[in-house]
Amino acid sequence: MFSRIVFALLSSFLVIGTALAQAKPVLTVYTYSSFAGKYGPGKAVKERFEAACNCQLEWVTAEDAGSLLGRLRLEGTNTKADVVLGLDMNLASEAKSLNLFALHDMDLRGLSLPVAWTDDTFVPFDWGYLAFVYDTTMLAQPPKSLKELVENPSGPKIVLQDPRTSAPGLGFLLWMQKVYGDQSGNAWTQLKPRIVTFTKGWSEAYGLFLKGEADMVMSYTTSPAYHVSVEKKDQYKAAAFEEGHYLHVEIAGLTRTTKQPELAKAFLAFCLSDSFQSTMPEGNWMMPVKTPQSGLPQAFQDLIQPQKALLYTPDEVQENRRAFVDRWLNATAR
Amino acid sequence: MRLRQLHLGDATTFAIVALVACGFVSLLRIGDGGTTLISIGPYLQRVLIFSFVQAGLSTLLSLGLGIALALALARRQFPGKEALLTFLGTTMVIPTIVAVFAVLAVYGRNGWVAQSLKSLGWTGSISIFGYPGILIAHVFLNAPFVAKVTLDGLNLVPAEQWRLATSLGFSSGQIFRHLDWPALRADLPGLAILVFLLCFKSFAIVLALGGGPSRATLEVAIYEALKVDLDFARAAWLALLQVAICVIIALALHGVVSRPPAATTFRGPMQRVDAADYRLKILDSVILLFGLLFLGPLALSVLVGLGSIPDILDLDLVGALMTSLTIAAIAGSLACSLALAIGAAVRHHRIAQASPRWAALLDLVPSALLAIPPFALTAGLFLLIRPWIDQARIGLILLPVVNGLGALPFAYRYIAPRLMQAEERYGRLSESLGMRGLARLKIVDWPMVQRPLASAFALTAALSFGDFGIIALFGGPKLRTLPYLLYERLGAYRFEEASALGLIILTVAFLLAQVSSRLSHAHD
Repeated sequence: MFSRIVFALLSSFLVIGTALAQAKPVLTVYTYSSFAGKYGPGKAVKERFEAACNCQLEWVTAEDAGSLLGRLRLEGTNTKADVVLGLDMNLASEAKSLNLFALHDMDLRGLSLPVAWTDDTFVPFDWGYLAFVYDTTMLAQPPKSLKELVENPSGPKIVLQDPRTSAPGLGFLLWMQKVYGDQSGNAWTQLKPRIVTFTKGWSEAYGLFLKGEADMVMSYTTSPAYHVSVEKKDQYKAAAFEEGHYLHVEIAGLTRTTKQPELAKAFLAFCLSDSFQSTMPEGNWMMPVKTPQSGLPQAFQDLIQPQKALLYTPDEVQENRRAFVDRWLNATAR
Repeated sequence: MRLRQLHLGDATTFAIVALVACGFVSLLRIGDGGTTLISIGPYLQRVLIFSFVQAGLSTLLSLGLGIALALALARRQFPGKEALLTFLGTTMVIPTIVAVFAVLAVYGRNGWVAQSLKSLGWTGSISIFGYPGILIAHVFLNAPFVAKVTLDGLNLVPAEQWRLATSLGFSSGQIFRHLDWPALRADLPGLAILVFLLCFKSFAIVLALGGGPSRATLEVAIYEALKVDLDFARAAWLALLQVAICVIIALALHGVVSRPPAATTFRGPMQRVDAADYRLKILDSVILLFGLLFLGPLALSVLVGLGSIPDILDLDLVGALMTSLTIAAIAGSLACSLALAIGAAVRHHRIAQASPRWAALLDLVPSALLAIPPFALTAGLFLLIRPWIDQARIGLILLPVVNGLGALPFAYRYIAPRLMQAEERYGRLSESLGMRGLARLKIVDWPMVQRPLASAFALTAALSFGDFGIIALFGGPKLRTLPYLLYERLGAYRFEEASALGLIILTVAFLLAQVSSRLSHAHD
């Protein structure tokens, strides 16, 4: 009996001892849920970073990039976030105006991004081009340009996302704006008869497309890589458009309220490392900002490579989003 | 109202209203006065008009089909009727995206209807985007629920009245006028409000099947303000506008149809005399056939998930199932306790205090809760409790609370009428016997409320079980429910596995509904 008590005491001391030894600093990273989710790269990123940092990485998730920003705004300077990972360029200006982010002080030259990166607050960690995805067994001749899609009255039916509720939806709105400028209202009116619907999010639109409700869906050039790598189906392709494709860049930044800026900066630097970047293609189904040493997976090498990137600066987006959305509403909400 | 007679339920109602109001105030305050009162531009006007028309039509069709089905089912007995009744209690719980895919699987461009027509040599193309799609989805989700509740109401018509009707030789028309109609009339306003509000707020369905931004609801604007513009004050104002509209509609419906006093006695299953009327036989066959043709394929299309079930069986699923069940149980208990408290207060004021206006006001609170956009409510409550509660636990607390509040109107539909009945039937007797407090609760109320309470619990638990709105905000690697797993798969191209999860959610909801209908149909 006595020996049992001694054993119990000893083992509890042991447990407490190891617990104390494990009291490593905790780095809290806010991200969107699919990044940290079952199929996202979050698990690998956490393991690899913890192996090097002698710290513990804690994911706190919000539904999507917009919700991340909303949550930060609600929490203000009381936020527990050290790093925010997973905003996108269209939200960058709004994020900065929260006055919650610190400068990253990193050298960001030589990234494999289609545009030169000059932002001093946010670090890009992956990117992709928007594109219409279609099923080659159903649609043999996809349009070769945005103009052809918009102006051919007997063109394919498409399903889009609502630019007010979805990131690719907003991206396509900006794409139309970039190509048509002041004439975008007319272009929307011309395209409208062939738009099946604007869904709340990417999932509904892609699901509608897979169910055969539309010939093409707004998604990313990387979508076909998923079907090839995971489902071994090669009938899905992204349509290359002559005018160029709108660029989607995902970004990360450290908060100025963080109590461990060194660790947070170490994590941002880690985001550009090979161990992080190599998880992007088949973890997040996006392009890495630094090509991993092992190269891209085969399915990614076969994707279309748009020659021109279309992009508004974050400030332009923040300034004009309301006006662009109103113009879109006027043209399509009749 | 006399203050000295304040009821516990009054306090509960005040607490709910205060909680919601505080949430709104914190939302408005964080908006730091940047926004003035909302301006309702031409677009918002169009959205409002569309919402009214869409919700009104959806309600009319859901009530029409639901009531017709209920009457037909009340008159007819056939094998498999029990299973059908259970199914009717299930459709409300279907996650919206599963409902959208179900509608398209049947009525879509490549759906079953289009394919059968094509195999008959037809060359046209079907498009249901716009009103048809929205209405089909809303009627699919709501009409079965209407049928279920109405049927429960019809079954409460006292046996004495039936005997009297039989001995007086009532015609089918007279039976409808004197027996069925009063029972229907008692349920109609509450049901109409419930369905109207659900459709008025409908969001993902309207966007996915609407075909364009002219088909949107106020909820879209609230979501936009909250999540895109980060204009919380505007979100709060829009939410208030929605609540105001819904309360006005609820008041109007309350005013039009007043609830007749209940006079139920216990009874076993009745053989209805009008079942023999051949005209009704034809009518019922048509109704049941139509119901079967409309609802059957939609329900069957959910079964496509069957093939992917093996792919989703893992520990995550077990964990998420447990989390979902726990949250559903807490939310269900919360909704039922609140419904009991409010129901008791309403009864107290209507009968003991003879202040029907105050009672009617309290009666409105559950319906008004339904009008509050869950996003806005959650964001407000989040602001409210954040200073006191650990980050990681906030979701665990808010999830059951918001789900519970959301399910309260449904629990209230079940519980409140029975509480009233108990009082109307035994109130004077127990008063004259001097029975009060716990004894009265145990002897008078409990036997009457026990079964509706159980079925309310099953329904509200199922509703919370299928909820995605709130878990989307707080879900993450540490807090995952079944709907969360479903959407996680959808976001990762895994649509077939998602449909398997949809099937599992429905199966659990079906089991819960089974329990619910067992309990509500059990003989005394």
